Amino acid sequence: MIRIEKVSFGYGEEKNTLHDFSLLIPSGKCILLCGESGCGKTTVTKLINGLIPHFTENSTLKGDVVVEGVRVPEAELYVLAKHIGSVFQNPKSQFFNLDTDSELAFGLENEGMAPELMKDRLAATVESLQIQKLMHRNIFSLSGGEKQTLAFASVYAMNPAVFVLDEPTANLDEAAIGRLREQIALLKQQGHTVVIGEHRLYFLAGLIDRAIYIKDGFLNQVFTGEEFWKLPDKVRAHMGLRSLVPTELHLPEVRRASDDLYVKGLVVEGLTCGYRKQPAVFDNLSFTAVPGEVLAITGPNGTGKTTLTRTLCGLLKEQSGKILLDGRLLSVKERRRESFLVMQDVNHQLFYDSVWNECEQAAGTQDGAIEAVLQSFDLLSFKDRHPMALSGGQKQRLAAATAVLSGKRLLIFDEPTSGLDYRHMMEVSAMVRRMAAEGHIVLVVSHDKEFMRCTCDRVLRI
Amino acid sequence: MGAEKNRRVSMDPRSGLFLLIMANVVAFTQDSLKMELGWIGLLILLFLLCGCISAGIKYGLVFLAVLAIQWYVLPVSPKIIATSFSIFANYARRMFPCLMVGHLMVKTISLRRFIVGMRKLHVPQKLMIPISVTLRYFPAIREEAGHIRDAMRLRNIRGMEMMEAMIVPLMISASETAEELSAAAVTRGIENPAPKTSVIRLHMGPLDWICIVLSIAFAAAAVIM
Repeated sequence: MIRIEKVSFGYGEEKNTLHDFSLLIPSGKCILLCGESGCGKTTVTKLINGLIPHFTENSTLKGDVVVEGVRVPEAELYVLAKHIGSVFQNPKSQFFNLDTDSELAFGLENEGMAPELMKDRLAATVESLQIQKLMHRNIFSLSGGEKQTLAFASVYAMNPAVFVLDEPTANLDEAAIGRLREQIALLKQQGHTVVIGEHRLYFLAGLIDRAIYIKDGFLNQVFTGEEFWKLPDKVRAHMGLRSLVPTELHLPEVRRASDDLYVKGLVVEGLTCGYRKQPAVFDNLSFTAVPGEVLAITGPNGTGKTTLTRTLCGLLKEQSGKILLDGRLLSVKERRRESFLVMQDVNHQLFYDSVWNECEQAAGTQDGAIEAVLQSFDLLSFKDRHPMALSGGQKQRLAAATAVLSGKRLLIFDEPTSGLDYRHMMEVSAMVRRMAAEGHIVLVVSHDKEFMRCTCDRVLRI
Repeated sequence: MGAEKNRRVSMDPRSGLFLLIMANVVAFTQDSLKMELGWIGLLILLFLLCGCISAGIKYGLVFLAVLAIQWYVLPVSPKIIATSFSIFANYARRMFPCLMVGHLMVKTISLRRFIVGMRKLHVPQKLMIPISVTLRYFPAIREEAGHIRDAMRLRNIRGMEMMEAMIVPLMISASETAEELSAAAVTRGIENPAPKTSVIRLHMGPLDWICIVLSIAFAAAAVIM
């Protein structure tokens, strides 16, 4: 059982992120925490797994949290670890070992479990989660989805009564989300308590006993599972929530490369790519993308979407094939000049100490345009801010603005909506559409069908 | 020290460490060619036994090449080259066995078995956690640095500017990674004071004892002679 009683919480001097929050979760229930970004979902998950207050500096916590009879604010984290298992958003940074076998055993080794018992427990975990093909491997060779499955498995091996999942699907493709659904169903069936903070909701249909809607740090509404899944679309969108049902994607297929290679736009002809000394990741790929249209690139993890985007941007040399822009064959170097990639982690591509300087470097000699471009990206009032002090959405817009300023024709967005709520997703959608309308060739790599449906014109499945 | 691989024979991390120490002793005390050749030959044999066949052969060939350079090339080369390279060749020869043992350890002993070995030797937990985290942390940071470099190439940032521009995103990414890694670790009980256990059982096999005995013999001979 989890009891959160009259909790108010704030980071440092800032205003509280949770206000007078009370929640009782009986054992064996599956609870969804939902609401817009920054509403306090993650804060609630951290209250339960003890990262608040034990792992959060300068915070003020009032009220009480009791999980499985243990008072969280007073217990040591390693005591909590026996009762509460946590799976986080980023599959890249949840690992402590270099090989999967060690990782699976990590929690049990920390507990000091007897080796014989541990062997049985590990074997049982592999069996019930069906992860035989993940074992005996190097962690760095796993895909994002496989990493997330392994993170889940290593928590599962510890057999905690309570599972806390904080946006577990943010980086997953459809198949991996399907597996996660099965795993949650298994937990429910075994009588574990599950708390999930999520933006993507459709995959949880039928699993949730209660949905807790949080708004601005207040517990706003509590729904039963049935009530929640019957919410009309309009109400749901007004609450800022993502679609409750799986999205069907009926986009027309990508334009094939015609015999006439000299059309306006990007023409890819017989492209084969791969890394040195390894077999090609994909071969003989041909398609056309024209200005004004947004082309979605989708497909399971590990099929070469990243390789394709890196090749198109000139970060990787093709093994064979042609890439043309407006009928002109582009070399690797020219591709780097004509294209831009807005990365999934946009922190990697902002380098200067203010928004203005960032733009100045990108604009080169034509710095007269900066003001207008910043205005169009709704960033002008932040021009003296440090880029790292911007919100996630603003950083993304700034990266796109630098691409526009340096006159790039081809813009590629890599997973621009991972971990975004409905409102932010719609903002990204509007920005992407606008850039296409201004005559850019826009490609979007995504798993997010809801986003692709409202943003893209055609789809390339690889 | 990558992922665990199913090798037929592999050294115990403890005997590996011991061998490394002995290799150092031998390297800096021995003064006879016979002994050197014997010692190198033994290590190559160990490579072959551990299944690192091509690496073992390569080391053998490189060592012969160094010898050939020292004996046949340097004596007939111009004086300036001979004097500047003879010290280098001499030291390369001396360091050779240490390099071989180090390479063999990295190749055949997984990080996991190394850590279990260190625990068996009662290396304090306070030292083990930072070591294991560091070994895990650097590959992650290297991945991030690759993304940042890609981003800079697309922005056409070059030369000195590149060094400067790298700092902010790298620091942000490093501190985020550190924070997320630690959160994942503490919620899985890394701070638990209970003695850690492991499914891996280390035991010293015949190969380990042979290595230890022979390396002691070589070291003793080198010191005495």
